[in-house]
This record gives sequence, structure tokens and C-alpha cells, in this order.
Amino acid sequence: MLAQLLINTLQIGALYVLFSLGFTLVFGVMKVINMAHGEFFAAAAVVTSFLVGLMTMQLALPSWLVYLAASIIAAIVVCIIGALVYLFGIRFYIKDLVGSFILSVGVLLVIQGAVLQGFGGAPRIVPPIFDGTTEIFGARITTNRLVISLAALLITFATYLALQATRWGKALRAVAEDAEAATLQGIPRRRVSFVGFMIATLLAALAGILTISLAPITPAIGEEYLIKSFIIVIIGGLGSIPGAVIGGFSIALIESVVGAYWDPSIATIVMFALVIAFLIFRPQGIFGRAA
Amino acid sequence: MLSRRTVTCAAVLFIAGSLGTLASARAQDTLKVGLSAPMSGPAASWGIHMKWGAEKAAEEINRTGGIKVAGKAYKVQVIAYDNKYNATEGAKTAQLLFNRDGVDFVIGSLGTAPTQALQSISEREGKLLFTTAFGKALKGPKFPLTFTQLNTPVELLPQMYGYIKKVHPNVKTVALLNPNDATGQDTEPQSQKLWKSLGVEVVSSDWFERSTTEFQPIVSKFARLKPDIIEITNGPPTTAGVVYKELAVQGWKGVKIVVASSGERDFVTSGGPAVEGTYVGNAADMTGQAATDLQKRLNKLVMDEIQQPLSPLTLCTWDSMMALKAGIEKAQSVDPKKVAAALPTIVFESSWGPAAFGGAENYGTPQQMLIPTVISQIQNGKPVEVLRVLPKELEEKLKTKK
Repeated sequence: MLAQLLINTLQIGALYVLFSLGFTLVFGVMKVINMAHGEFFAAAAVVTSFLVGLMTMQLALPSWLVYLAASIIAAIVVCIIGALVYLFGIRFYIKDLVGSFILSVGVLLVIQGAVLQGFGGAPRIVPPIFDGTTEIFGARITTNRLVISLAALLITFATYLALQATRWGKALRAVAEDAEAATLQGIPRRRVSFVGFMIATLLAALAGILTISLAPITPAIGEEYLIKSFIIVIIGGLGSIPGAVIGGFSIALIESVVGAYWDPSIATIVMFALVIAFLIFRPQGIFGRAA
Repeated sequence: MLSRRTVTCAAVLFIAGSLGTLASARAQDTLKVGLSAPMSGPAASWGIHMKWGAEKAAEEINRTGGIKVAGKAYKVQVIAYDNKYNATEGAKTAQLLFNRDGVDFVIGSLGTAPTQALQSISEREGKLLFTTAFGKALKGPKFPLTFTQLNTPVELLPQMYGYIKKVHPNVKTVALLNPNDATGQDTEPQSQKLWKSLGVEVVSSDWFERSTTEFQPIVSKFARLKPDIIEITNGPPTTAGVVYKELAVQGWKGVKIVVASSGERDFVTSGGPAVEGTYVGNAADMTGQAATDLQKRLNKLVMDEIQQPLSPLTLCTWDSMMALKAGIEKAQSVDPKKVAAALPTIVFESSWGPAAFGGAENYGTPQQMLIPTVISQIQNGKPVEVLRVLPKELEEKLKTKK
């Protein structure tokens, strides 16, 4: 049972972490709360699942190629949407929590409405990319989920490495640490903010793309992830990448253990109780810095 | 002295005016009817089916001359809104339908919570409401304008559980998985009570949010408890498919039940081979021998138009529309209260054949549409009927009418 709980934690947590990474990055670099982050995720999932269905019917291509092509197109589409949202909206509200929150709620409604209008509300079901079941120390997981979870972890690790080791990554961290000091050092703050937003958008899109064969896809699928993401970044610390990882797996562990021994609705109560406790006793989260 | 030209013009104008008046006297009024159902989210296929059924019924009624009341013929127009299966959107939908669109009749509403929001306005403002919602408390003497258009757990569960216990006499334990909303909270106690009366122990009764996509934790719990039966009381078809698929991964084998099916294609697509053998309520094979000619015709049409097989949810709005037509024509009035008084007295032609309203024994007043209770089992990816029961009350009403 322990092995099964840990495997459940891995497969649930991997996507939570990937999703929350982008959310916390945007806050860290720009001090902006982007409520539309869930819609980037949902839009990518819907577009990919639509294209997979269309391309499977119309083109005689191997399924892995169909998935790859659909994923690339969806990622590009969502990044274009993200760029437009930043250029025509978010960049005017950098370091403005309330303004960015209100703006992004509006963007959320627009994107959700557009996706609903364009693709309809019916759930889309995409067949798994990999068949079969894998057993690990007695715990069972579909091969599809295992590969997708590992892919999510790989992307998370690659993002972490990029932030640590590349020039842009260091610039992003510098701006997140102290924007004014970074500007004084010659770091182009606005350009760095744009790059940070685009990386976050891409991470949300990748999380959405990876979800398509795991659950029925609807335009509203991002809402659940956004709520969990809030919990994760409060626990982990707003703007903290390690915090998003620890927070993501913590939430997944709570869901796994409490859901398996009690009830999923009790798991939700426990999560929100934890959020309240953190907000009272450690509002900056595990890895965040106190104001 | 008037010129010949003037007189001719006046005569032409008089004749034209008379013809115009005659035409407008024969002109059809439009009866707007509302629909509140989820058109997005996991339960979207249910709402889409209901909308399709309603629009087809409206087309049929309009094609055959409309609803005739005191020399007038009413065309029917369907106005549908997405209630997203929650009370907030249900309340918004209610405001739009009743206050903005001026609708007097709602020919379908799905989801106990959004229906309760709708009902709080409809009963107060004297509007007639048809609903598929499972909540038992939605009907009764306090809600004289509310009628149910589909079998609910009160009609389904005794037949379903009784059949399953007969076919699987050795089952001793059951685990229930219920959506954490008004629908689930209303159905779960009925399930618990019935299983206990059959000598089956309820080892677990768990709740999930309808927006949940990850079911591994609850599935791990069920796999650990190893119940003989796992029942999903009210989950949408895609959710139910995902749950059974995960159960198969974690090695559980047993009797599978989905009480509120309707949407077997989505169920089979999301669950794959894991859903073989599942018993599904409110699901019928609309191409089989037991299907009526109308159901077969509608099935072909719905497959052509939305590439989904016909289901009882597609038919429930067709049936409520036909019931409404019959009720209005019996009452010879479009006053919702007069129509509501007429409905329990009529036998009307539903998609299942002749149908009526009854259920006073269960609800206190005859507000339940009496149609066959159909239980199917998924065999080779398709629903195959295993049980069809005509309500005794309907049989008696039909005998009386003869």
C-alpha cells in the first residue's frame, strides 16, 4: 500500500509541480498574480486534443507523430496568446497585485469563453500514447502515466537547471530577487519580465499537453489546477521554484494518503486547513522570504 | 365627385388591408420554452443530448402545425443555457430564462443544485418546470409545478439492485462513489438503505468533486477494501470510465454499476475494456428490438448530426415537449398552472410509446413521468438491455384509457 501511495503521489504531483512552476515564476519575477494561467493550460489541452482527433482522422501518420505535431502547434498557439496577454495587458501591471489579479480574471473569462465557443464544452477523450501497466515494488501505474509523470519531472528539472545555469535564468533570478538592483546592473528588466512570462506560459501549455491522455479534456479543466496551484505556492512560497516542487508533492501526498484512507473531500479540507495554518503562522511559505 | 383612379386606389388599399388583417389573425404565436443543462465540463454530453432532443421535438411540433389552443397555433422555440452543473450558474440561468426571456415553461433541467435554483423562481412565479434531476425532494405537494421527465433513483434503484442481486447472489459488500453535491447527497442515502435491505454491506461511501480528474487515491482505497461491487451513483460517463479504468490498473475485479448513465459512448471511450460488464441505469439500446420506431429514427438522426447514439437523456426533452403539447391542448390554455393541472390527467405519445404522469405513492402528487425502467449492461462496448420494466401504474392508466 505504501508503494502505491507513493506512486500515486508521483503521478499526481508531477503535473501539479509543472503547472505551479509557471504560476510562481510569474509572481517571482513580476510580482503579478496571473489567474489566466489555468486557461493557458486548458487552451493547450483543448487545442492539442482537438488536433490529435482531427489529424488522426485526416492523415495517415503514426500516432506518436500526430501527438508531437499537435503538441507543437498547441504550444505555439498558446504562447502567441500569452504574448498578446503580456504585451497588451500584464506589462502595464507589473508589481501591481490587485491590478494584475483583476486584469487576469478578465483574461481568464475571455479565453475560457473563446475556447468554449470555438471547440464546444463536450469532454474530449484522447487515447493513451503508451499502452500497458507497469509494476514498481508492487505498486501499479499505467505505462502512459509513468512516462508522462517522468516527462513532467524532466521538464521541471530542465527549467530549474536553466534558471540556475543560463544567462537568462540568472537574469530572471536577479530580477526576482531585487528588480531595482538588477536594473542598476544593466539587466533589461522589461525584457526579462517578458521572457519570464513566456516561460511560464510555455510551462502551463506543456502541463496541459501532457494531461490530454490522462483525463477527459474540457475548457474548464484549468480551474481545478489553478486552485491547487494557489495552495501549492502559498505552502511553498510565492516566487520560489523549490517551493513549488515541495508544495506540489506535499499536496499530492495529502491527496493520496487522506483520499486512500478517508475520503477525497476530507483531503480537500485538510489542504485548506494547511493553507490557513501557513497563512497564520508562516505566510511567506516554506521557501519564501518574509516581507 | 371622386375620380375613378381614387376609388380604385381606395378599393385596392381596403382589400390589401383586409388581407393583412386576415393573415395576422392566422399568424402563429411563438411559445418560448427553456432548457437548463450543463453544456460544458464533464457532464456536457448530457446537456448537449438534451438540447438536441428539445430542438428536434420543437421542429417536429412546428412541422405538424404547432400547439393548437383555442383556434391559435403556437410555434415552439427552444432557449437553452449552460448551467455548468452548479447552483450559481443554475440561478443565473433561471434569471435569464424567466426574467429576460419571459419563458413560462422549462422543458428540461439537469442537476439537482441548478434545478433547485431554477425551482425557487419557477414555483414562486407560477412557471412550469420539467426536470431530470434525481433529487426526491424536488417534487411533492409543495412544488405543484415541477414534473420529472426521466426515471430517478426512486424508480431505478429497486429494479437495478434487485436484478443485480439476483444475477450475482454471492455479492456481500459494496462501495459507493458519490458526487459531492445536492444530487449525490440526495441519492446516496437511498442507495445505502436499499443495499442494506438486500443484505449487502456498504463498506465505504466516498465523495468526489465533479471537477476531479485524479482518482488514484480513492481507487487505491477501493482496491484495498476489495468490495464485491463498486457503484458510481451519479458520475458523468467520462468520470465513471476513468474511475473503472484506474480500478482495473490497480487490480480490482468485481461488479460495476453506474446508476446515471446516458452517454455510453463516452463511458466506453474513457474506460476502454475496463468497463465491460458494467450495469448502467437509464441506458438503452436504441437500435434493438425493444426500441420503438421513433427511437430508431431519432437514433439515426442523432448519429448523423452529432455522432453520438441516442440515449434516454436525448429523449427526455423530446418526451417533456410532447407532454407539454398534450397538456396545453388538454387544458386549452398556455397558463402554466392550468397546464400543470392537466398533465396528470393525460396519456400522451412519448418516444417510449404511450406515457402518463404518476408516482403519487412516492412523492405525494403525480409528478413523475411514467416510462419504462431500463437497465443495460456494457457488452462488447455497447449497452445491451438486460431488464425493462413498465411501471404498473402506467399499465393501469393505459387500461383505464382504453
